[in-house]
Amino acid sequence: MPITAERGYLIPAINSGSIDYEACAEQLATSIRTWHPEANITILTREMLPYGDLGGFANDWQCFAASPYRQTIKLEADMIATGPVDHWWTLFEHRDVVISQGCRDFYGQVSDCRSYRQLFDQNQLPDVYNAITYWRFSREAKEFFDLVRNIFENWAEFRTLLKFPDESATTDVVYAMAAVILGPELVTLPKGLGPQIVHMKRNIIPTLTDNWTNELIWENANPGLRIQTVAQSGFVHYHNKDWRMS
Amino acid sequence: MTRGVTIFAFNNEQIDYLAMAAWSAQNIRRHLELPVCVITDVDDPERTKAFDQVVVTESPVTKQHRYFYDFKQAAAWHNMNRSSVHDLSPWDHTLVLDADYVVASDQLNVLFDTNQDFLAHDRAIDASGYPPFNDNNRFGSYKIPMAWATVMCFRKGKTAQLIFDTMQMIRDHWEHYKQIYFIPEQTFRNDYALSIAMNIVDGHTLSMPAIPWPLMSLTSHAQITQLESDTYRIDYENTNTNGKVKWILLQNQDFHAMGKRSLGAIVANNS
Repeated sequence: MPITAERGYLIPAINSGSIDYEACAEQLATSIRTWHPEANITILTREMLPYGDLGGFANDWQCFAASPYRQTIKLEADMIATGPVDHWWTLFEHRDVVISQGCRDFYGQVSDCRSYRQLFDQNQLPDVYNAITYWRFSREAKEFFDLVRNIFENWAEFRTLLKFPDESATTDVVYAMAAVILGPELVTLPKGLGPQIVHMKRNIIPTLTDNWTNELIWENANPGLRIQTVAQSGFVHYHNKDWRMS
Repeated sequence: MTRGVTIFAFNNEQIDYLAMAAWSAQNIRRHLELPVCVITDVDDPERTKAFDQVVVTESPVTKQHRYFYDFKQAAAWHNMNRSSVHDLSPWDHTLVLDADYVVASDQLNVLFDTNQDFLAHDRAIDASGYPPFNDNNRFGSYKIPMAWATVMCFRKGKTAQLIFDTMQMIRDHWEHYKQIYFIPEQTFRNDYALSIAMNIVDGHTLSMPAIPWPLMSLTSHAQITQLESDTYRIDYENTNTNGKVKWILLQNQDFHAMGKRSLGAIVANNS
């Protein structure tokens, strides 16, 4: 896709099964515009994929070719912007690729829950979350996404490098392997420096059930979001794909 | 601007908090060189002569009882008026200490030199490395980060007044706040009220400045013995020690002695 702007947010939204990722992406785009009315935002739908729908996570590497921006922040669709995030551009702009590391609970504290990250720990992979990924249109970023593509397409071979690998490749694991191959210092910021998603998964928060919206008090602060009275910042990964703020 | 330390001391049937506070006052003068005020219901000059200032007030009305592990029984817990310290403390810049906080260094003096109106600990650690202690740094079903009311340093003014007023509001409507924050325990704790109050006053962002070192603590599972004036031997047993009692020395290290029986024995030996 031709470059049309210097900076912008790219939100992949390929509907699958019963999950309406496009609706999630619309909500995310609306929340970003609440804070940054002039922001460039592209929702990447199935028909916009340059190499067609390869199914699920395997589409991820196409984001590089699909982005119309010289600098892109890719965001997972099932998130919401709960505060300004444009200062991240200043943080990222000196790098070719930045994948976020670690996650926070809704109190803003870095999570020490490892129950969803055992594969990462057992294989000493960097604790990356592709939910927030930045890249600059560059040879290095292309190399990164070529490698991501290579790992997805040759998962049967790459998974033999891991202890207790998943049957199917997932984006976070593939990004982590690519980071190890290229050098984590080239594609991540030092821990604690870059942005981290607020992860609303059960063991992180911790709730008794998967659907946190049934247990926790959340408020649309208009603009913004409070959970258990605590004002959220950055991106909240709400996990429950049907949740809508209004 | 006057500076000083204020300690609350309301005895119950098991624990002589006033004696603890009097012993603590000696340590405070020795290390911090600050005057000490006690807020108590004991109106007896002989028993309060260890203090520079005495504020006599009624014992807070309470139906609260707390189980003391080292005494193996529950006792009344007169903790409901901590939030009145802003009005009761005679100092412009006050360091509020629990009666069971052992001052063994001049470290707390640093707090008076910070440019903050209110400071408390946001993290406690156990000197013996007692494993479940991390759980004490959060509370409620959804693990709210704790602010500890054991050590608070405040300048009289708007911020501190707001925090203490909010603590009072939370205390007076505890049932309501318990439900909002999903706190299953029945007992009111100043730590909980302070945590919630700081969150509210700070605009629900949980980003208030905190004392930049952890609150060194010893649970009531530890046996504390004083070897020299600022040297304590800590005998402890925990899940890591497979039933063996181990010990460490704490030297010139302030700590919060949650085990009142051990501390009471030390105080008795020194009086």
